[in-house]
Amino acid sequence: MKLKYITVVLAVLLFTSCNDFLDIRPTGKVIAETGEEYRALLTYVYDKVPEDRGMTTLRSDEMAADAATMSGYDYDSYFDIWNWTDYNRNPSALYFGWRRYYHTCYIANYIIEHQSEITKATDAEIKQLVGESYMLRAYMHFLLVNLYAPAYTNCDPETTRGIPLQLKADVNAILQCSSVADVYKQILQDIETADNYMNIEKWEKGYSYRFSKDVVSAFRARVALYMGNWQLAFEEAENVIEKYPALEDLSTSTTTKPTNYNSVESIMALEQIITSSLSNLGYVNPDLLALYRSGDQRKNTYFKAKTLKQWVLRKEKSQFDEERCTFRSGEFYLIAAEAANELNDKTNALKYIKALMQKRYKATNYTTYASALDALDQDALREEIALERQREMAYQGHRWFDLRRTTQPAITKVFTLADKTEEIYTLQQADERYTLRLPQEAVEANPELEIWNK
Amino acid sequence: MNKVLYILLMFVMTTFALSAQTRTITGQVLDGDFNNEPLIGAAIRIEFNDKNHAPAGTVSDIDGNFSVNVSSAAKGFYVSFVGYATQYVKLGDKNNYSVILRADSKVMDEVVVTGYQNIERRKLTASVSTVGISEEKVGTIKNIDQALAGQVAGLSTMSSSGAPGAPVKIRIRGTASMNGTQDPLWVLDGIPLEGTDVPAMEELKDIDNIYQTSIAGINPADIENITVLKDAAATAIYGARAANGVIVITTKKGKQGKPQINLSAKLTVNPRLSIDRLNLLNSEEKVGLELDLLKSDYTYRENKGAVAQILSNLGETDAYKAGGWAALSPEAQNQINAIKGYNTDWNDALFRTVLNQEYYLSLSGGTDKVNYYTSVGWYDEQGNVRGVENNRFNMTLKTDYRINKFLKLGASVYANQRKTDTYLTDYNSFTNPIYYSRIANPYQPIYDADGNYVYDKNVEGREETDLDFNIMEERANTSNKRIDRSLMAIFDAQLRFNDYFKISTQAGLQYDGYKLDRYASENSYAMRYEMYDKRYNGETYLPEGGMHKVNQGHTFQWTWKTLAEYKQTYRKYHDFEVMLGAELRRIEAETNYTLAYGYDPRTLTIQPVIFPTQDLAESNPLSSETFTENAYASFFATTSYTFKDRYTLGGSIRFDGSDVFGVSKEYRFLPLYSVSGLWRMKEEYWLKGVKQIDDLSLRLSYGLQGNIDKNTSPYLVGKFDKIQILPDHIEDVIESETAPNPDLRWEKTQNINAGFDIAVLKRAISLTVDYYYRKSTDLIGMRMLPLETGFSSTTINWASMENQGFEVGLATRNVYTPNFNWTTNINIGYNQNKVLQETVAENSTYPSREGYPVGAIFAYETAGLDEYGYPLYKTKDGRAVSAQEFFKLDKNGASQLTAAEQRELYTYMGSADPIISGGFINNFEYKNWTLNVNFTFNFGAKVRVQPSYSSLYFDRGLNTNQDILNRWTPDNTDTYLPTLMTSDGIHNSEILFYENYGSFGMMDIWVKKLNYMRCQSIRLGYRFEGDWLTKLGVRSASVSLEGRNLFVIAGDYTNYLDPETMGNPYATPLPKSIIFSLNVNF
Repeated sequence: MKLKYITVVLAVLLFTSCNDFLDIRPTGKVIAETGEEYRALLTYVYDKVPEDRGMTTLRSDEMAADAATMSGYDYDSYFDIWNWTDYNRNPSALYFGWRRYYHTCYIANYIIEHQSEITKATDAEIKQLVGESYMLRAYMHFLLVNLYAPAYTNCDPETTRGIPLQLKADVNAILQCSSVADVYKQILQDIETADNYMNIEKWEKGYSYRFSKDVVSAFRARVALYMGNWQLAFEEAENVIEKYPALEDLSTSTTTKPTNYNSVESIMALEQIITSSLSNLGYVNPDLLALYRSGDQRKNTYFKAKTLKQWVLRKEKSQFDEERCTFRSGEFYLIAAEAANELNDKTNALKYIKALMQKRYKATNYTTYASALDALDQDALREEIALERQREMAYQGHRWFDLRRTTQPAITKVFTLADKTEEIYTLQQADERYTLRLPQEAVEANPELEIWNK
Repeated sequence: MNKVLYILLMFVMTTFALSAQTRTITGQVLDGDFNNEPLIGAAIRIEFNDKNHAPAGTVSDIDGNFSVNVSSAAKGFYVSFVGYATQYVKLGDKNNYSVILRADSKVMDEVVVTGYQNIERRKLTASVSTVGISEEKVGTIKNIDQALAGQVAGLSTMSSSGAPGAPVKIRIRGTASMNGTQDPLWVLDGIPLEGTDVPAMEELKDIDNIYQTSIAGINPADIENITVLKDAAATAIYGARAANGVIVITTKKGKQGKPQINLSAKLTVNPRLSIDRLNLLNSEEKVGLELDLLKSDYTYRENKGAVAQILSNLGETDAYKAGGWAALSPEAQNQINAIKGYNTDWNDALFRTVLNQEYYLSLSGGTDKVNYYTSVGWYDEQGNVRGVENNRFNMTLKTDYRINKFLKLGASVYANQRKTDTYLTDYNSFTNPIYYSRIANPYQPIYDADGNYVYDKNVEGREETDLDFNIMEERANTSNKRIDRSLMAIFDAQLRFNDYFKISTQAGLQYDGYKLDRYASENSYAMRYEMYDKRYNGETYLPEGGMHKVNQGHTFQWTWKTLAEYKQTYRKYHDFEVMLGAELRRIEAETNYTLAYGYDPRTLTIQPVIFPTQDLAESNPLSSETFTENAYASFFATTSYTFKDRYTLGGSIRFDGSDVFGVSKEYRFLPLYSVSGLWRMKEEYWLKGVKQIDDLSLRLSYGLQGNIDKNTSPYLVGKFDKIQILPDHIEDVIESETAPNPDLRWEKTQNINAGFDIAVLKRAISLTVDYYYRKSTDLIGMRMLPLETGFSSTTINWASMENQGFEVGLATRNVYTPNFNWTTNINIGYNQNKVLQETVAENSTYPSREGYPVGAIFAYETAGLDEYGYPLYKTKDGRAVSAQEFFKLDKNGASQLTAAEQRELYTYMGSADPIISGGFINNFEYKNWTLNVNFTFNFGAKVRVQPSYSSLYFDRGLNTNQDILNRWTPDNTDTYLPTLMTSDGIHNSEILFYENYGSFGMMDIWVKKLNYMRCQSIRLGYRFEGDWLTKLGVRSASVSLEGRNLFVIAGDYTNYLDPETMGNPYATPLPKSIIFSLNVNF
């Protein structure tokens, strides 16, 4: 009898406190539960969004380089990107991002899937988090499809291989590529969904790297532009301009770069674009520099002369951390103008292009350049808008994508070696290298990635 | 309650009974196995006619004498002593008896200590081996992990290094896990130890890594015996941690009797290592080689080596290349001839003969109420490598109290401090003295004529960095000290309600603290390297002065377990035992790291580091700390049922729970269990009569063991951090880079053990044979993930493997006469390991081990050399083809084969783990002399060694072994050693291939057989005898002389110091030693 009692007492004593005893939270480790913790998950992936748009500057025609500017470690890492070498690359050559984008998608999907479990947060806060997650996912897919798949406007999107869409947080999933059209459909759908969830119009200054309701139109306008959907691009660009009409007036002062997060133009300030390692790899292509006409204040705002012939990006040390720009109002004047012109709406095209030019040129020069536009036909105006776009968006991670979605021209690059001999590299018109190869490590990890039978 | 009263009553009656004396019995107990020396502390228990008579008895004194008063009811008495067969003496008329006890290694009343229970051997269903730790048995050992080498069948040991304090790798029945720990669990007096895992072999680069496990702190002299638990029936009770077997240490206890003082002193001579076996080039050969190479097309590091330097200083390099020796000026010829004749004795400069000392003093004794054991030990070891020292100080206090008939209490404290002192050897591979002794040029001087350091300009890695290196300067100006302090305390209490039921509880505390203190003065390569490494815009940003790095840490664990045991015999034949228990354990570990520059050891002051950028400051933290905490709760039960002492059925089960963070509660507990049976055939009526057979029994067990990966969670687990995206806004982030895996299951190992024990001819021959089969499934490992999941890898259940083998333990008493005894023990373990399933990454070019042992070594089978001295490879159909064809190389030296096809090119060479291992032990006793000869052996393993030289990157600035002289050259074509490769227009893609893909070391010529038998110990002992001892107050005294590791009988290990450390050129080989030992008992 006694034995039985003792056993029972012993067992009760030991079992009861057992689960409490085992509940140890490892120092520094966490499984997100509260709204703040879910926000911290998202902040981490915001911070880790690749600076690939900046890296496309190398691949585009914006940056020139020679043995003096690109040597040693830089040469090993970046030269193959600059001269479009996609096969037999230098073993230490860098790749554009891949996993990092999908990791961001994973966290976004994780938040979307766990929204009902988030504690200590208001409904609005949760909805905003989920909305931003949809936006991030869409933005990641948008960057991926524009790096690794043919341009929507230069292929048959329905039958062309796009990129895998990650729509679920599942580490065991083996994804396959979707068509370019499906990827864009999903992007637009995600933006739509995000719009329904988000409730913050615009984040206050230190948090403007986050997506908000105001970014919806901006993002959609850019997507529409890349799809050649002029009507949608025009409407959304106008929506953006309505809310963010302000432009930095460079005609009088050149102190604040439009790409500064403090600039009046800033809508969303996530990406640094040209990081410090990128800015010193080469110098501004002289052809690009030559495009800036007299009175164009952007030349000295964006760039500075390093030597007599070589100009580089102007990056003041004090403003280093301030230069972040994903969407700014200037871009939407250009989109509105380009879309209007394509829609044969010359009035609006001129209206928006001139509005931008007015803030960029000294007043006297502006008058001359603006009035010259009036006489142009649609094609000539298209060219002028494109040139203005090239000048305005230079070194901001747009050029490569603009080249891709438009004429995909032939590009020639010259690399001068230390002994003055010149190596010449050429990208043919509509060269297949306008689309990046899928990264080798991605194909190795998922051999079915490249399979496409449509 | 009435039982308690009854027992109290018995106490009272005892006193009455004692007063009713009628007769005094006296006598002497003698040791029949030790020249009839008196046995001290033997127990004498009187048997009475009347069953209810109060117990009476005594203990033999210092001379083996005893005296006891008994009533007329006494009919006889039992004399017993631990490890000896108990004798019953019937009382006759006489009152004085001489009783001779004989040692019995396999007495059936022997108790096996499993750490949880003490099981009578006659009921033992499991496979366990016990090794008594005495100098006679295992020789003079420094650490207890060394004691087990060759002593236990199925347990293999591998010394990672011969450096002082270096741990020994122990495997019991092969390897059961691929990624998890493979080390057994160590248990000290019932409490599992923390910090006993031996780091991977790669991390043990000789003296750089002065890591010690907590086992190193235990003094072997304090140990009574070690029990090795091998099968599931024995280990299941330990749960998840016991998947690799359990080693249970039982320390010495005080015995009843007068206080005994034991003093021992050991002096060990370790003769200097000899690097002669390495077959390094002497100055003449090295200079000859340099001259040859300078003339050839081989240009790798052409300006290295003394010859190149002399010629370049004199501006005669081109002249030599064009015209050879004859074209040189007499000046150049003289200088070169001068270095030919100069040989630095690196062996003497770096290594030494040492004398080590060890002292041990213990005091023990006891009464029927209390027994005690106290010991102190001091051990001082100088390494064979100059500048390496190690010492250990131990103290043990153990006391057991018998409070009353019901309650026993015990308290033990084990404390030790270990110090290791060496110098910084991890700044570059060549700063390691063992490695340096192999690569330093024979003509390289150490000091110049004025006694200044001469820097070795040939060893340095990069051409552009010229950081002066002289190994003597490193030894003088840097230090690397580690202090370990451990304290362990065990408290236990046992409450015995009656003969059937008892509750016991035990609490153990273990504290291990260490401090690693590394210092480099500014006049050292280490500091120059630091300065070079920490530069900004070409200038170092470190302040002037030295460097001081301190790592400190401690782990603290407590374990508390409580057991209830119930034991009953029903109707004489039915023995029934059950034990229930619970165990709680909590561990915390803390580490601290600080780094200071501008350090001045005289003033202990430092200078601040001004980091030029925030990035550099963040990537070079000057301090950091970690803290982890884990908790475990377990419940367990065992039961056994024995019928007529013939058939025993046993079972055990354990639920292990731990604080695995983010694991659903259902995964917290997995039942691990075992069932087992024992059939003691000897007890059957048909065998009882067979006199020749003393024992015959069969054992069978099955069990399930398991393990869970604590780092993978089904949920997304992240780490807190802080970042800034936009200026002035620092935010919390959760970094979540570890893929969650909801499908992760427990790693499981199923164990089957079948064995028999047989003893014949009065136990002159006893044999134990065990067969085991262990199948491990769902082994946890890393798997590559498609990157589109967002992660690059995750932990999955990816592999399964099996181990099966035999263990044979044979003990024979070959000669047994009063004056001469000869016994032999042979232990053999045969283990076959096979990976049943393994998923390799798609892109892996190295084959899967599926169908092969876990330690499988694959290599490219070569077929000699072509007419230019380039390796030829053997295809599967037996043709000899060039690398070009074998690997389908393109012009860039890349293979055009898919990863899967490249995997196919490999041939299986063998396993890195021995197939047969064991020990061969002989003991001879002649009068006062004893001679022990122990051998250990390992057969059937292979080892991949570092290539003697690289065909493409042979560095003429370094010394090497004679193989380089036997390389293929147009004049020496009869060799298997490839030529030094130079662009010849024919082999360009092959050269690129060897350059980029490092396949040179994967050729089968670099895989060697590893078979060896080591003479572990030869020990001659003498025990003093005579009256003079007693006059001096000495109870016994003995001396011994032992040679350890005197020689190795092995297959070919030309160019290596020792077969055991062939694969690691950085490891100190096991030292030879000669030990003089003196033992005195007062």
